[in-house]
Formats: sequence, C-alpha cells, structure tokens
Amino acid sequence: MLNVLLTEIMKLKNTKMHWLILLGAIPANLVTLYAFLPRVTPEGTRAGIDLQDMFYRQGMVITILGPFMFALMTGYIISREYQERTINQLFSYPVSRTKILFAKLGAVVVLIFTTSLLSCIMVTATGVIMSFTKPVEMEVLWSGIRMNMLAGLLALGTIPVSAALSMIGTSVIPSTVLGAFATIVTLIGEMGHGMRNILFPWAMPYWPVRELAQGLAESGPNPYAVPGMTILAVTFMVSLVFCIVYYEKAEIHSGS
Amino acid sequence: MSTILRTSRLTKRYGGKTVVSDVNMTIIPGDIYGFLGQNGAGKTTTLRMIMGLIHPSSGEVELFGKPLHGNKGEAMERIGAIIEYPGFYLNLNAADNLEIHRRLMGMGNRESIDDALAAVGLLDAKHQKVKQYSLGMKQRLGIARALLHHPELLILDEPTNGLDPVGMKEMRQLFLELVRKRGITFLISSHLLSEIEQLSNKIGIIHKGRMLEEIDYESLQRKTRHYLDIKVTDEKKAAFILEQKLGTTDYVVAGSGGLRLYEHLDEPDRVSLLLAEGGVGIKEMVLSGDSLEEYFLKLTGGDKFA
Ligand SMILES: Nc1ncnc2c1ncn2[C@@H]1O[C@H](COP(=O)(O)OP(=O)(O)OP(=O)(O)O)[C@@H](O)[C@H]1O
Ligand SMILES: [Mg+2]
Repeated sequence: MLNVLLTEIMKLKNTKMHWLILLGAIPANLVTLYAFLPRVTPEGTRAGIDLQDMFYRQGMVITILGPFMFALMTGYIISREYQERTINQLFSYPVSRTKILFAKLGAVVVLIFTTSLLSCIMVTATGVIMSFTKPVEMEVLWSGIRMNMLAGLLALGTIPVSAALSMIGTSVIPSTVLGAFATIVTLIGEMGHGMRNILFPWAMPYWPVRELAQGLAESGPNPYAVPGMTILAVTFMVSLVFCIVYYEKAEIHSGS
Repeated sequence: MSTILRTSRLTKRYGGKTVVSDVNMTIIPGDIYGFLGQNGAGKTTTLRMIMGLIHPSSGEVELFGKPLHGNKGEAMERIGAIIEYPGFYLNLNAADNLEIHRRLMGMGNRESIDDALAAVGLLDAKHQKVKQYSLGMKQRLGIARALLHHPELLILDEPTNGLDPVGMKEMRQLFLELVRKRGITFLISSHLLSEIEQLSNKIGIIHKGRMLEEIDYESLQRKTRHYLDIKVTDEKKAAFILEQKLGTTDYVVAGSGGLRLYEHLDEPDRVSLLLAEGGVGIKEMVLSGDSLEEYFLKLTGGDKFA
C-alpha cells in the first residue's frame, strides 16, 4: 500500500501542485499579519499580540479556501489518469482498483495536511517566539495547532465527493465547480459567524476554528456539532462507498 | 498443449450494437499472433476485454490456462501491454515513468529500467520529460515499459502507429529479437496486412466484430500461392513426368485430371511439351491463385485492407 501511495506522490513531481499548495497557504499567513498592526484596548493601553486571534483568522481563511483548493487537488489526481490516457496502464497492474483509489485519496490527505501545516507557519512561529517570554502562550499555541489538525481531518469528509465527480466526469471541471460553490457558501457562512454553518459538510472544518473566536454573540459549545458531524460522516461514507464501487466496476474506454 | 491465451465466444455489445461477436482466439507459447482488422473492426475492444479493462457481454478469456476473472493480478504480472495509446505522465521523465511501473508491478531491481530503455534505443532520452517525446518515441517507450517486468506475453495494439517506415522496420526487428532471445509470445493488432505478414506466424482476421479466420502462416502461404492449374488426360502419368523430367515435387494432384504445379510458373511451354512428349494430353492450363491481398479481399467481401 505504501508503495502505491509513493507512486501517487511521485506522479505529482514537476506539476503545478506545489503552487496550488502555496496558493492555499499564503493567504492564511498574510491574514495573520493583521495581528502586528497597532491595537489599543478600551482602557487606552497598547494591546499585545493576540495569538488566539491570529489562529482564528488563519483558520477562517484556510477553511474558506479549503473546499475549492482540496476539490481541485482531488479532481486533478483522479482525472489526470483519464486526461493523460494513463488509465489503461494504471488498471493493468496487479494492484486492485480499490487499492489505487485509496492511494490516490492518501495523496490528497498528504496535500491537505501540507497545505494546513504551511498555512499556520507564520502564527506558529510567532507563538514559539512569544513562548520564550510568556509561558502561558504554550497552551494557546497547542490549541491552535490542534484546531488546524482537526480542521484538516474534517476537510477529508467531502473529498470522496470530489473524487466521485472526477471519475464520473473524467475531468477536473465538475469537482472544481463544486469546490468553488462550496467555498462561496462557506465564505458567506463564516462572515456571519453563525453556529449553524457547520451543517453544510464543506463548512464543518469551521467548527474547531470558531471555538477560538472571542467576543462573538453566541459562545459556548456548538449545539450543531453532533448533527454536523453526522451529516459529514454520512456524506463521507456514502460517497466513499460509491467511489469504490464505481472505480471497481467502471469500463475503461478512455485513451481512445 | 498449454495455451498462453484463449478466448471463447468473446462478445461485447454496446446498447444494441454488437461490436465484438463470438471471437475465438488461441495463442500458444512462441506465437507472434497478428490480429488483423480494419478501423473499427473490434481489435481494441477485444484487447480491452483480454486486459480486463471492460467486461465481456458474454464469453470468456483465459490467460495462462486460468480464467481471467479471479486471477487478474497474477495474469497481469506476466503480461506487458500497450492498449490503444502509450499513455505516460508527461510531467515526468522516461526513467520516472518506468520507476512507477516497476513499483506497481512489484519487482525488485532498478537496473532493469536501463536495460528496457536500451532495448528500444531510448537510453539517451532517459532524463528527458515525456512531454517532449514524439509519438514514435512514446511508442518505443511504451514497449520499454511493457518489457520492463519480463513478461511472457506482450499485447501491443497497433504498435507501429506513428512510426516512419524505418522505425517500423526497427520495431519488427526488435520484436523478432525478443521472440528469439527471450521467447516472448506476441499478440499484435494492426490494420496493415503488410506488417502482419512480415511478422506473424499466426493470423487472426477480424471483420465487423467477427473472427473470419484464424490461420497459421504456412497454411496461408499455401492458400495464397500461385500455381499452374493443369487439366490432363492422365494425372498419374503427368505426375510421373513432372517428377522425372521437370525434377519437381512441388505439385498436388487435385483429382479428376487436375494438377496444381507450384513451380516453373514462367515456362508453361516447356511443361506442356514435356507432358505431350510423355503422351499426356493437355486439356487446359491456366495460371491461377490469389495474392495475399486478393485472398483477404475475398474473405472480407471486398473491403480493402489499407
Ligand atoms: N464505448 C463504446 N461505445 C459504443 N461503441 C463503441 C465503444 N467503443 C468502441 N465502439 C465501437 O466498436 C467498434 C470497434 O471499435 P474498436 O476500437 O474495437 O475498433 P478497432 O478495430 O480497434 O479500430 P481501429 O483500427 O480504428 O483502432 C467501432 O465501431 C466503435 O465505434
Ligand atoms: Mg483500435
């Protein structure tokens, strides 16, 4: 399995994938710079750098861009085999199609976590530097990293939907259109800061991000976490099973 | 005898249209099987079924003595193939593409990559991105990839597509060498009669989805040889004269006074004189027989092979 995953990673060499990762990661880093602008508290004193707020902003940006970026990455990895007419060969190996599918999804996981990791590099670096002077920041730093890992994990929930569209359409377009749509919906939702947003599976990664927010109207644990997770889990399972069945059964005509 | 490949009544329908119909094909070790058919005859569709890329509507594929269904992985380790088009990851160079293949085939050593590239004369282009390859180079790289894991059977769908005459000749020589040195069995599809004729020891002719004939090269030669068709008063005496006076045994007695003489086609005068001197009366003597092309034309009902 590891061997098949490795071939999937190899296939990305010299592609535009690293630009895509940067395109996903850079805006989140830029947004955190906002924290370095001078800020004054209501009491009139100069406020310090708020690490938690940095993480919140970074998390918002990555969870808004994520649906589009990750759909594009998934779409490319699945559909290129049809576009570049390598699918005949790919399905002529002594490796089951399901294994190949999981290797491809595995490559997407690697890309998602790489993007997430890079997106929080600025804020993490700030946190590490601050932790030398203020021991309390360690706790905030850890909660930020945890948030990023959880958001990345939740982003995986909708990946099989993108994969399914890409294998049916044998093109990156359907998945990208869906991703763009999901990003717009998530953007509008996050602008409103509502707790109910996370019922939309693509917006579920916003759940851990919102926990870091300060001074919002509604606070406390999100009552929609359980239904949101249920919707996401069902979306994941159904689309994954569909992918496996479709990939296994599909007749390969492409390459003609 | 052990077979490498056997299909029985292989059939594929798309909607109501039968694209491949009851194809029976038998390939034994050492064969260079030429799968000949015009554009749209059903060659690629048949090969896709053999490779398990599409499911037969009915009929079966048996590879190395076992049904393909349920033994695909094992069979695929023993086959190298190019179906329709040699697809590669264009962003990668030749070596990386072959490295991916090596890993997915689950085989050990990396040196075999250089060997395979050298076999098709692409060692110098090893580090060049496949994006920059011409179609002819891709065809050759496709063959290198198909050879990499030391298969017993090579399935090549129109492998000389996109090659110039020199390239085609080189390719044929490579195939013959692979048969000689490594004992590889070939299944090669083509729409070019001339190509198949120069290469194959067995030919399967597919036309509009049906296998019209499966014939070995010698039988085909026999069927397509020219001969003097002679009608005589006494064929036994005539045969004796042909052997004694003309010194040939390359004839057949066709019965009821008929003889087919495959030699001395350009000297009917001498043949008739000798027969007459020996007291055999000649009723009729004509040059007949089909050329290979004419033979195929008759088989396919007049449709030409390019
Ligand atoms: N997916 C499909 N759906 C419907 N018809 C198909 C499909 N694939 C192939 N066909 C039809 O099946 C017939 C045989 O096609 P095939 O590709 O097997 O021919 P071929 O012998 O390989 O021809 P060529 O020399 O052009 O490669 C053609 O008439 C084609 O239109
Ligand atoms: Mg074809």
